[in-house]
Amino acid sequence: MTVAKDAINQYIPHRAPFVMIDNLVSASQERFETDFYITADNLLVADGFFQESGLLENIAQTCAASFGYLDQQAGGAPKIGFIGAITKVEIHELPPVHSTIKTVVTPLHQLGNISLVQGESFLEGRILLGCEMKIVVTE
Amino acid sequence: MQANDVKMSWEEVIEDTRDFLSEEFEVDRNMILPENSLKDTLDLDSLDYVDLVVLIEENLNIKITGEDFKEIVTFGDFYKLVRQKLNL
Repeated sequence: MTVAKDAINQYIPHRAPFVMIDNLVSASQERFETDFYITADNLLVADGFFQESGLLENIAQTCAASFGYLDQQAGGAPKIGFIGAITKVEIHELPPVHSTIKTVVTPLHQLGNISLVQGESFLEGRILLGCEMKIVVTE
Repeated sequence: MQANDVKMSWEEVIEDTRDFLSEEFEVDRNMILPENSLKDTLDLDSLDYVDLVVLIEENLNIKITGEDFKEIVTFGDFYKLVRQKLNL
């Protein structure tokens, strides 16, 4: 475990009840991974399922936590990032409450303060949602 | 075919580049002229530059950095950079 749930808010600006990741499982320049247990009272749950918006936010927060962690490892402070664009969204399945999803993000390109990443979330090995996201990090 | 995989002539690289830029950014390829502004013609915002980098890498097999873009105003500037990177 790279960053456990109880320390994750050192790396992301989000606060409860809008924290949509639990543990930062691993983070390198090539790959980020988080997990997230979906509670029944999650703000982005509807009709017993974590919604598309939640899965996208989960991918964005996976990026935020990983960039923050890598910044800190490099001796800097975590920076604030925001979603610039979301493209190539493919939704396969929504996870039910009381399940734990795994999210994997692969950085594809970086140009200045903008990173293009591919994000995918999984439940028990099945892909839930995939997309590309442009993350803009404040200077 | 990518420029670095099989040696293309410089004219072929330019024509291919005009094709993929006009298709991706939905502009008339006749507007992609050496003297015209890259940013204005393609209507690029900062996020679009990332798409442009991806497109260049996929089609020409060369990497363009943020620093490279500081020197680029016109398509002519852009072609000059591409030519340098392709060693043509």
